[in-house]
Amino acid sequence: MARLLGVDIPNEKRIEASLPFIYGVGPSWAKRILESAGIDPDTRTGQLSQEQLGAIVTAIQQTGLPIEGDLRRDLQLNLKRLQQINCYRGIRHRKSLPVHGQRTHTNARTRKGKKKTVGVVRAKK
Amino acid sequence: MGRSLKKGPFVQQKLLVKIDKLNSANQKKPIKTWSRASMVTPDFVGHTFLVHNGKDFPTVYVTENMVGHRLGEFSPTRKFISHGNHTAKVSK
Repeated sequence: MARLLGVDIPNEKRIEASLPFIYGVGPSWAKRILESAGIDPDTRTGQLSQEQLGAIVTAIQQTGLPIEGDLRRDLQLNLKRLQQINCYRGIRHRKSLPVHGQRTHTNARTRKGKKKTVGVVRAKK
Repeated sequence: MGRSLKKGPFVQQKLLVKIDKLNSANQKKPIKTWSRASMVTPDFVGHTFLVHNGKDFPTVYVTENMVGHRLGEFSPTRKFISHGNHTAKVSK
């Protein structure tokens, strides 16, 4: 287990496959980062030297991507802004309904969560 | 697809004129508008709009965060109605 940029612990996979364990780095950025760091994407993460790991860290920082905590915070702030200005998208987020105009008559289960059956409760005579 | 940058943001001409008038007179008074498609520009900040939603004119007070959104986004066109409101009637 190598440690990169504080919290991240990618495991004994190929370095190209373990970089995406960092939140904010996907397969395609992993490739680009390794290219700029000059490291063979096929080497196992465990076999990388300290200097090589350092090179990867600087390469990541050079991309200027928001990563891990920063990225999570950015996303949260975006959501907060939408909800605070009371626009349509913010309202949809608040009600946890689909934001991009999808139908809600059926489906939309990802946003609405598990099915809750509702029925009319009639008063007893 | 987004709007071409070449054209700049869309704002109804009438609205711009009204805002200019209010800004130069340093006044604030609600502007009634049907132009939901108009983009909120920085000149709008601090003004109040009454944006038509097909039926009423909900008040929209524009803050700095709203720049770049369209007026219609702040005036919902649908009413949210949930189930379970029949019970009271039935029990009568």
